[in-house]
Amino acid sequence: MAFSRRNFLKLAAMSAGSTLIADTPFLSTRARAEAEGGNVRYVATSCEMCFWKCGVIAKVQKNKKGEDVVVKLEGNPFHPQSNGKLCARGQAGIGQLYDEDRLKKPMIRTGERGDGQYKEVSWEEALDYTVEKLKAVVDKYGPHAVAMMSHGSPGDYFTNLLMAMGSGNIAFPSFAQCKGIRDVAWELTFGHKPGSSCERVDLKNSKVIVLFGTHLGENMHNSQNQEFAEAVGRGAKIICVDPRYSTAAAKASLWLPIKPGTDMALLLTWINLIISNGWYDKEYVEQYTVGFEELKEAVKGYTVEWCAKETELHEADIIEAAKDLGRYAPNVMIHPGRHVAWYGDDTQRSRAMAIINAILGSWGREGGIWLPPKGKLAGFNDGIPEYPIPDEDPIIKGNYPFAGGEGLTQVVRDVTITGKPYPIKAWFVCGTNLMKSLPAPELTRKAIDSLDFIVAVDLLPTDTVMMADVILPECTYLERHDGLFKIETRETGVAIRQPAIEPMGESKPAWWIGSELCKRMGHPEYAVKDSSMDDLQAWEKRMRRQAKAWGIDFDKLADEGYITIPDSEAPYITPENQPVFKTPSKKIELFSSELDEKHFDPIPKYEKVEPPPEGMYRLVYGRSPVHTFSRTINDQWLWELQKENQVWLNTKEAARLGLKDNQYVVLENQDKVVSNKVLVKVTERIRQDCVYMVHGFGQNSKRLTRAYNKGADDQQLITRYKVDPITGGTGMRVNFVTIKEA
Amino acid sequence: MPRYVMVIDQSRCIGCMSCVVACKRENDVPPEQYRTRVVEMVRGEFPRLRTEMRSELCNHCDDPPCVHICPTGASHQEKDGTVQIDRRKCVGCKACITACPYDVRYINEEHGYADKCSFCQHRLKEGKEPACVATCVGRSRIFGDLDDPNSEVSQLLRENSWRVLKPEVGTKPHVYYINQFPRKS
Amino acid sequence: MELHIVGTNAITYPAMHVWDWRVASYLFLGGLSGGLMIMSAVNYIRPKNGQNADTLNAWKIPVLIPILLTIGLIFLNLDLERKLHAFWFYLTFKPVSPMSWGAWIVLIIYPLLIAYALAALPDNITRTIKYPTIRNWADALKPHLLKLAKVNIIAGVLLAIYTGILLSSLVARPLWNSPILPVLFLTSGMSTGAALMIILAKTKEMKLFFTKIDIWLIMAELLILVLMFYGHYVGDAVHQQAIAPFFSTSHEFFPYFLSIVVLGICLPLAVVLKFLEVTGEHTEELTTSSLLMMNFSALLVLVGGAVIRFALVYAGQLSGYSSYL
Repeated sequence: MAFSRRNFLKLAAMSAGSTLIADTPFLSTRARAEAEGGNVRYVATSCEMCFWKCGVIAKVQKNKKGEDVVVKLEGNPFHPQSNGKLCARGQAGIGQLYDEDRLKKPMIRTGERGDGQYKEVSWEEALDYTVEKLKAVVDKYGPHAVAMMSHGSPGDYFTNLLMAMGSGNIAFPSFAQCKGIRDVAWELTFGHKPGSSCERVDLKNSKVIVLFGTHLGENMHNSQNQEFAEAVGRGAKIICVDPRYSTAAAKASLWLPIKPGTDMALLLTWINLIISNGWYDKEYVEQYTVGFEELKEAVKGYTVEWCAKETELHEADIIEAAKDLGRYAPNVMIHPGRHVAWYGDDTQRSRAMAIINAILGSWGREGGIWLPPKGKLAGFNDGIPEYPIPDEDPIIKGNYPFAGGEGLTQVVRDVTITGKPYPIKAWFVCGTNLMKSLPAPELTRKAIDSLDFIVAVDLLPTDTVMMADVILPECTYLERHDGLFKIETRETGVAIRQPAIEPMGESKPAWWIGSELCKRMGHPEYAVKDSSMDDLQAWEKRMRRQAKAWGIDFDKLADEGYITIPDSEAPYITPENQPVFKTPSKKIELFSSELDEKHFDPIPKYEKVEPPPEGMYRLVYGRSPVHTFSRTINDQWLWELQKENQVWLNTKEAARLGLKDNQYVVLENQDKVVSNKVLVKVTERIRQDCVYMVHGFGQNSKRLTRAYNKGADDQQLITRYKVDPITGGTGMRVNFVTIKEA
Repeated sequence: MPRYVMVIDQSRCIGCMSCVVACKRENDVPPEQYRTRVVEMVRGEFPRLRTEMRSELCNHCDDPPCVHICPTGASHQEKDGTVQIDRRKCVGCKACITACPYDVRYINEEHGYADKCSFCQHRLKEGKEPACVATCVGRSRIFGDLDDPNSEVSQLLRENSWRVLKPEVGTKPHVYYINQFPRKS
Repeated sequence: MELHIVGTNAITYPAMHVWDWRVASYLFLGGLSGGLMIMSAVNYIRPKNGQNADTLNAWKIPVLIPILLTIGLIFLNLDLERKLHAFWFYLTFKPVSPMSWGAWIVLIIYPLLIAYALAALPDNITRTIKYPTIRNWADALKPHLLKLAKVNIIAGVLLAIYTGILLSSLVARPLWNSPILPVLFLTSGMSTGAALMIILAKTKEMKLFFTKIDIWLIMAELLILVLMFYGHYVGDAVHQQAIAPFFSTSHEFFPYFLSIVVLGICLPLAVVLKFLEVTGEHTEELTTSSLLMMNFSALLVLVGGAVIRFALVYAGQLSGYSSYL
């Protein structure tokens, strides 16, 4: 955090003749506007171009017509997730705000589902229609027949609505399709997730950083990438395990182009090497872990020779990496990763990663995984009554004993299709493009077709939104209140989201939509207090009450955007600061008693994944630094940086197939699904047995005028998925494709 | 008078494109036009590869061909060493665009004047760093005063071997590149 | 190497090619005007010039020059993105900018050209001028025609050479960045000037005179052209690459290849034809076939002059120093 401050000071001091900003280099938004003469307004808020929730300072000016216009976004220097910086997407938030394709008015479907015919209606009409349809479903099937799937801030308000109605069928793709699996694995091991607001990785102080498929630089979480660059600049050893030469691999000292699906072989071999050579932290293992002997016994058979054969890596590289981990332990880490839904054995792989961190003693150590911050904030529900207990248990965890509270979206989908154990007949889809986020999109479509009613709350007419019966236009993060947000980095803090300008068109904040629906569904006690149809300030009042309950100066928070909870930072283990492990044994469970109890392998084992059939490539996907899944694809300022995706193909394979760089190809998967045409990137940067593409392209919605039909959709080709039996995560790297000229 | 320079630590560039978008929004650069760009060069054969990341922008040359060619004095050098454009005086002859060895100039299609990176002159006047520097996630871009021996840029240029782009054209750029590749430790 | 660029430069954005046919046309017409200034002046100054018989036609050339230059300047103005700001050319003088020089040269040349044209007007034309002021000016200038012609030679050289100096000053464009380019443009301007003299001249004597001049000029032009390519060929990598489009057979560079072919045919053919003319036996009046041949060879020279400008303007912008090696 210190670096940008120091810089700024110097600059302020050296720029002669300018308004000298004396000894406080960072100013509150109000002071900043005053310093610049008052023709400009600065609003401290929180970004939602992705879900890292960086602190943003929006610069607002009046245009010639006298309207407020957001002209620039900058990182909030006070906020630890941004440190005064924003990524490309954060900078391009203005593009989302002023996207002419945005949903401007509520709409009710007039044609068939999916044919895109809608009529614009008033909010009154849209809400009444929604309530009428919901009530019909509730009356016929019970409240549990209403499900909600969401990503991002709007989820909170509709969770409240569904809970008030008496349905617990709420699921977020961020669990089963993303990082939930990893969270469970680390909870089983350490009794904690590896992070909440951010992964608690001490990158900037680390000496050895191991990345398994984690493509920092392309997966652009702001502060984490700041620290990664800091580590690279310092000369930390980066070991990148990835079948593709990613940006992170380009920064690495050692790139291990592993055969896809064999990560577990490498991890277990490393554990074996570290234990058998005594490179682990003996004292730490003794003091904080249980199950070491069982672990030692279990990994004995995983030899380097075997591993090299299995992973197609060089023996010397495998040993070098393990040696370096041992030499620099505990200031080392295996990064827990984020999207880990790969092969259906993902909890165990994440467990193996957690275990290496544990035996190297990196949990709670400088350069390893820092400890959760202190500074608890009291629960706050603004005095709403307790939610009724649903008359039917929610189905969101399926038959997966360790599925998390965020729920399994694909189970909601399956139950919707089968009607078992009970029918689900209405969906709320809030801020997530399910057609692009769940595997096997044809099943998503089938489920939607079997619904009585589907409501979408979103910013843009995405593929999924354009299947809804009612579309409720949400306003962007620059036009609404949300929060207060509890931000847990090295310290605990509180951040705010507040509007920079009034909502455009007739779009409304999600809290308002949720609150109005609560009232109309007959649950006014769960609505936002003192809210009404034409009042968008009620949430701010709620935030004030929340700030008061938390003992925070709201005006200061509104002015500065972020407030630190004092003395909450205690990242490393010291005699006074001892770690707490919320596991059954109160220790780090190398041998997981909970998994054992449920008859899963208590220590990870290697199992082969299905190899690609002859002549096919494994489909691997990832992110672009300028896009958040399919959410930002239509943003003008991001779109122009990357209009369509490419499929990466190894040079030798391209030569074999007679394909030239940058020509259009189509992919066909094992189930004969054919992709949109897509440019091929012929490259040395990927193994010969897989192809790679950035996720989120190939939009089918014609109303996304820029993004429509650009590039290919990886999700469409992910017709198969392998479910992780422990958590219910959907492993999606089990699909194979062929490539031919378009 | 300060002498503004930028130092780009290539090893720290992670290709996030934040500078590109920040620049466009700060300076209202029209769609499809850019004042800065990010270049990624990958050399070698699988699996032995090496990558050079590099952001590029106006070099604010000490000996600027664009200023020399400009017939009206619209392109000029300021006392702080930056090369600026007086939009009033620009006739849109495009000589500066052809004269620039670095391809960093463009015609603003709406207004017709030549345009390019100004090192965010308007921000410098307010005591702020250029937008690309302020938002550079990897802290690859460092900005400051070369006349101040204590500035970070002065220190970096003292302590590192540096290079400039296309030195053979003799323009004496004020954008310096250090650490072409990340250290292999 | 795998190169990936986000943002614009000559690689990602072909529109960095900023000077097009308008500038090329101006360079051609500017060179032609300069050449005509020199040649028409030579026509007046040379000894034994039978001013009498040919005066009828010689005067048309000084009148034509400002017209050609104006058309050229219209093309140039079409290229300006901010035409209304063009007055700034004359609110500054930038001594190091060949373009600023050019702007001022054009400004000084215009009154000179008009004086020259008025002085050259024959009496029967002067008499038909409706405005007495202009008539008086014409009458007053007439005795100074030879002096004006001498000044015109210098001005013509300046006009014809400055465009070449402008391009050659651009270090960023290796194809242009050659001191031989201004010489090429001057020679080419003079040879096209001579060619147009041949077409417009009425008398056999005058046509043959300029044909002889043109032979020397075309041979010089060919020699300079070859030397220019040779200079690039033996230069460093960027200069070698700068001329590569002219010798490439890929369809992308076909226009450049074609331009070399056209030049390789036009100019030598013109020289051969001209040799045939000057060495041939001529009757008192030129035969139709002889006239056709003369005019055709002159036309070849004009085409060659235009091709040189177009090819160099476009190819020059393809050339550059790459930092992606």
